[in-house]
Amino acid sequence: MTDGAASQEELLKGVIGKPTGTSKVVVERGPVGHFAAAVRSTNPIYHDPRAAEAAGFDAIPAPPTWPFVMEFSGKFTEMQPGDAPSPHPLTTVLGPLLAGGALLLPGERELISPGRVGVGALRVGEGSIVNAYQKESKGKTMTFVVSEMNWRDEKTGEPVATVRNNLICRA
Amino acid sequence: MGEHKLSFDDVAVGDEAPVLTHKLTRTDLVKYAGASGDFNPMHHDEPAARAAGQPSVFGHGMFSMGLLGTALTDYVGVGNLTRFSVRFARQTWPDEVLSSKVVVTAKREDGAKKLVDLAVTLTNSEGEQKVVGEATAELPGPD
Repeated sequence: MTDGAASQEELLKGVIGKPTGTSKVVVERGPVGHFAAAVRSTNPIYHDPRAAEAAGFDAIPAPPTWPFVMEFSGKFTEMQPGDAPSPHPLTTVLGPLLAGGALLLPGERELISPGRVGVGALRVGEGSIVNAYQKESKGKTMTFVVSEMNWRDEKTGEPVATVRNNLICRA
Repeated sequence: MGEHKLSFDDVAVGDEAPVLTHKLTRTDLVKYAGASGDFNPMHHDEPAARAAGQPSVFGHGMFSMGLLGTALTDYVGVGNLTRFSVRFARQTWPDEVLSSKVVVTAKREDGAKKLVDLAVTLTNSEGEQKVVGEATAELPGPD
């Protein structure tokens, strides 16, 4: 292994376990309804609180892939703790590769939902890098980074969902 | 527990959910971009996609995962998924007819929890797999 490859291995090992920042998100009825329509659900449960209540929910629930996108419509500036690390661990490992022309490929996405994400609640997410490594494949260096957001209900502390993203960078 | 659509006692390994079929349109991709915040031009800007060497705009991988999420929750009920993961095999293209396949692969009990494992795929009319994944749902017992 060349010195360059060895130091890249060290860099990758060094970001495992590093936090990527805390995010506070409000789940609102309008964005949830639009997202449900966008993923082609016809279930009234996502639009009508009476349908949600009849199905046993305290509030309108969100579609299963909602945790992947909820920061877009609910991450309000004044609520954020502002603890995102600088530089961000993803920038540290992927920045130079991308600047060198590497391709970013979408890897596996995983959602773990011990609870339910519903309208009204304030959710707090703690992000971290859970794994980072590289592999040689057909003469190309593939870099894998797995990041995770653990979301919980802000009031009760109860875990709500874990979102795991796999990023693949091919140099 | 969530929406009561499927009871544990009524499910058998090999059961399949109703198929969700949809012809992908550019409007779908605009709606998904607006709802998700993914404004990557590859998914809505035709000239930009072509300039990048693509034959046309193509679908967000997460849109496909969202479609499978709809097929899954229509079957097992909203709020019952405990796990859902996918990998992206191929891009999706406007005018493709995409169909979901959700199959029960296992039934098991974990303490008091009654769980089903499911295999999910999104395929086009040529049989090409676009997204392949797995899910687990916790189902209510008999009322």
